[in-house]
This record gives sequence, C-alpha cells and structure tokens, in this order.
Amino acid sequence: MFAYSANRELESSAKVRALEALLIQKGVLSTSTVDTILKYFDQTMGPFNGAKLVARAWCDPDFKNFLLTDCNAACESMDMPTGMSGAEGEIMRVAENTPTVHNLIICTLCSCYPWPTLGQPPYWYKDPTFRARGAREPRAVLAEFGLTIDPSVEIRVWDSSGQIRWWVLPERPLGSEGMNELQLVKLLTPESMMGVAKVVI
Amino acid sequence: MKLQHSLGGLQGLGPVDLQKNVFVHEWETRIFGIHTAMMALSSHLSGSLPNYPIESVPTSFKDIWTWADLRRGAESMQPFDYFRFRYYEKWLGGISGFFIEKGYFTAEELEAVMSFYLREGNLKPAPLPDHEQSAIDEQVLRYLEEGDSGRRPAEAPPRFKAGQSVVIDDPDCSDHTRLPGYLRNKCGVIDLVYPDCYAYFPGPSDRLQKPQISYSVKFKAADIWGPEKSEPDAFIYADLFECYLK
Repeated sequence: MFAYSANRELESSAKVRALEALLIQKGVLSTSTVDTILKYFDQTMGPFNGAKLVARAWCDPDFKNFLLTDCNAACESMDMPTGMSGAEGEIMRVAENTPTVHNLIICTLCSCYPWPTLGQPPYWYKDPTFRARGAREPRAVLAEFGLTIDPSVEIRVWDSSGQIRWWVLPERPLGSEGMNELQLVKLLTPESMMGVAKVVI
Repeated sequence: MKLQHSLGGLQGLGPVDLQKNVFVHEWETRIFGIHTAMMALSSHLSGSLPNYPIESVPTSFKDIWTWADLRRGAESMQPFDYFRFRYYEKWLGGISGFFIEKGYFTAEELEAVMSFYLREGNLKPAPLPDHEQSAIDEQVLRYLEEGDSGRRPAEAPPRFKAGQSVVIDDPDCSDHTRLPGYLRNKCGVIDLVYPDCYAYFPGPSDRLQKPQISYSVKFKAADIWGPEKSEPDAFIYADLFECYLK
C-alpha cells in the first residue's frame, strides 16, 4: 500500500512521450514546440535576469527605487531581453530585504513564480511541505535552509495568491563594496531572490 | 474545507525538501513544455490584450487551457490522491485526461503509444513524429514574450481603502479558488489597493468570473495561528480579489 510501482518514472516517461507524440501526430503541436519552449527558458528567461536587476539595484539607488516602485517599468528601462513583462511576469513586485526586515515568497495554492526574472521554480518551492510550513513557521523553515534570522528581524511572508508575481531584492553582502556589477551578478541564486538564502561571498 | 486549499499551516509534516533543481526527472521537462504550449495556443487568447491572431495559428488545438484549468484539475482531485502524486505527475495526469475528455485521442490510443515507447525506449531509436509547423512555435514564443495580462480598467471604485480592517469571507468549497484556506474568517488590514482591476481566467471558480479590484492584505501571524502558536514578529501578506473580502 505504501509503495509505488518500481516502474513509476519509466511509466511517466513513456506516458509523456506518448502524449507529446500524439499531440504532434494530431496537429496540436509541432515536433519542435516543446524544445523551443525549454530552450527559451535555458537561454532567455531565467534567474540570470533577476541577478542583473539586483546587481544594478545594489549599484544604483535610483534604479533600486524604480525596481521597488514599478518592477516592470524598471525592467523596460534596462538592456534586458524582450519579454520581461511576458508570461508569468505581466505584473511583478519586489520585496526588499533590509537589516530589519526579511521577506519570504511562498504560494500555498500552487506555485506562482516570476518567470521573466527567475525562470522556472526550483523543486523546493513546489514542495507541499514547504508551502504548508512556510505560512506558519517561516523562521523554522528558513533554518532548515541554513538561514537563521535574528529574532529582532521582522519576517514578512508573501503568499502569491493573486495575479502579482513576487520576488525578493536581497541585501548586498558585506565585503562586496569593491565588486562591480558583473562580479555581483555571479553571487545571486534563485534561493536568495525568493528569500530562503542570503547572498554570501 | 478542502485539504489542498488549506495547505498553508498544516502541521506535523517533517522537514522541507531542499531540492534546488527545477526538474528531478527528464520527463518532467516535457510536460512543463506541453502545458506551456497549450497556454500559448489557448482559444481564449483571441480576447487577450496582445490580441493574438489565435484563430489563424495552424494548430488543431481549439480549446481553452490556462493556469485555471491546470489548477482546477489538481484542486478537484480527491484530497488524499492529491498528496499521493508528485507535482508534475499531477500535471501529466490532468493534461492527458483533458485531451481524452475533449476527444483529441482516446485512452486506448494513449495506452498503445505508451506501450510502444515503453518497449522501444523513450529517446533513440523511437523519435517523435515529424510535423514541422513553424507558425505554432512562433505563436508560442510570442505568448512567452507578451503574456496574458489580466489587468483591465476598473468599472467601479474599490470598496476598501488602504489601512482599513477587513474580514476574509468563507465562500462555499469549490473546485477552484484563489483564496488560501488558512485566511478564511481571519482579520487583516488593507496594505495596498492595486490600481485598475484584474480579470481572472475563464471557467468555473468560486467567485472569479468578473474582473475586479485586487488588494494586498496584511495579517499578523498571531491573528491567524494564535499568539502562543505563531513565530514572533511575523506577518503574512496575501494578494486577494475583492470578492473574498467583507
């Protein structure tokens, strides 16, 4: 009763292949459609976009204010790929981490995620245990990610239950003062831009 | 109360999964791609803001498919089944079932092709059928770049203003909602009234049929879980449609 078929993944793998084959055969999709989508996420729409925006915000206070006030317009103002207000990024908002406030983004009903800036959601974000516990015990959940938030720091949990896609502007790490934007970009991870990690050098 | 609507706050679950990969099995990438393609080819997009020429795209897909359909499938599952299946297993089951129900192919056809791939292997030497139709991929890319914004001009002024206290309503259980269960009957404060209003996707839901004002509502964790049962200095913000506030 508690075991799944030993062929669980093999069967899903064959089923999704059969589904895609039938959809191509019936003229719903083109042979290349799924590959086209996956390539777009690999190359155009991914966490490297969010990293560029955060690095710029760390270096330019006016841009930071712009990003926090109107994320989509701030994206438009930068040399970013077209599509920063495209699918799952039509309306985005950014929550700023500071020495006194830490933000965590969750989605208890599904897994809403800002595609243009962060790409596809990591598995932890879709995990029902994370989604359930993030709402009630964010500090305990963050500790499991290795992040201890000082009791004096306010925690804000954002449940993405509407049409807005949320992400986090993390704090610039100490010791990064001499780094330029290109170097800063490399420090950023999807985890730091959703609030389950701090940026470290 | 439906369990998958009330995931937020469940206890006794053990540690979270720290897996940072987007996909844990190669096949999951394909169902993600299929779902995204369906959203990009959905017939409702003819009425979207980018005004996609969806009728002239040379696809045989003639139905509506949005996030709402995917979510409705998962939310309408028997709750204990919901937790038996992994994230993309629910997608695969829901999407396969949708195409069978709509008559694009039969369950027997799917079973037969699945047996073929189980026997022949999923990659070489059994490739996908050959049907190149670049106009389908062009529409898919255009959808990814231009999206399907629900933002519409407001038809009526907001019923609530920033700073005002609100009580979250407790609508009847339905197969689709955007109201997290743990917020029902709780008190919060309007933190922000979003400009304009927002249309949700077509199809059955509890109260989301009409475009409406949306709010960011702030809750004290202690007001939701109880002062002794919540972490200190914690707040929850939720984006809620006006239909859920009173």
